[in-house]
Amino acid sequence: MANDTQKLQRHAGVDRLFHWVTAVTLTLLLATSLLPILGVRFAWYGVHWVAGIVLTLIILLHIVRALFWQRPGSMLLTAADFSARGAGKYTLAQKLMHLGWTLAVLVAIVTGLLLLRKAGVSFMTRDPYAYSPGTWGFVTLLHDLSALLSVFLVLVHVYFAILPEKRAYLRAMVSGFITRRDLAAEHDVERVERGE
Amino acid sequence: MNLLRFGHDAYGERVLNGVAWELLLPVAFWAGVAVIVGHLIYRALRRGKSGRTHGQ
Repeated sequence: MANDTQKLQRHAGVDRLFHWVTAVTLTLLLATSLLPILGVRFAWYGVHWVAGIVLTLIILLHIVRALFWQRPGSMLLTAADFSARGAGKYTLAQKLMHLGWTLAVLVAIVTGLLLLRKAGVSFMTRDPYAYSPGTWGFVTLLHDLSALLSVFLVLVHVYFAILPEKRAYLRAMVSGFITRRDLAAEHDVERVERGE
Repeated sequence: MNLLRFGHDAYGERVLNGVAWELLLPVAFWAGVAVIVGHLIYRALRRGKSGRTHGQ
């Protein structure tokens, strides 16, 4: 019988680095966009677009790594997620959280890159007439909606991360490891080891 | 109260500017808080139920 305290690797170092750099850039992006709306006045735009470019680059690296070095199927919703059996590497809730972040971040990146053209940055000439005012409005609306979804997701994500019974996942995102006992609480260890 | 912000272009036409932050930012925040409170209630009820089951 396997030792309950045996440590299993859950996240490689590069994936933990990706997670925490994403967390810092998203915090910067939300702070620099929402604090001025809440009445805190400062020169927010420089930090905002630089953090946005950093987020874009690390998301591109994450997509390449997920597709070619990891098992992207382990993050997809499957019929097995709705059965009573233990989860694979990720639980249904974790997959839904990832899906929410995927939507929020990809919309923010695509619309943010378009908006750089409207506002101008050091490496791109400002051209507010590239699109009609209505089109800019629609792009801004999508960018705003991604920010609102991010506010919701940050609250829920941080809540579940610090919940005592879910603390093993937070420890795994710091150290990279989870014990077999902690994993077995919600996962089928055999499914995890098969890469599901 | 509007869900969206509107302005006017150079010709005076009404154009979309984005979401109405004063309405939707609190909605996003309180929706997150509602999920947290809902889960805390569910968690407390489930723990109470399993506590009674173990106590029998």
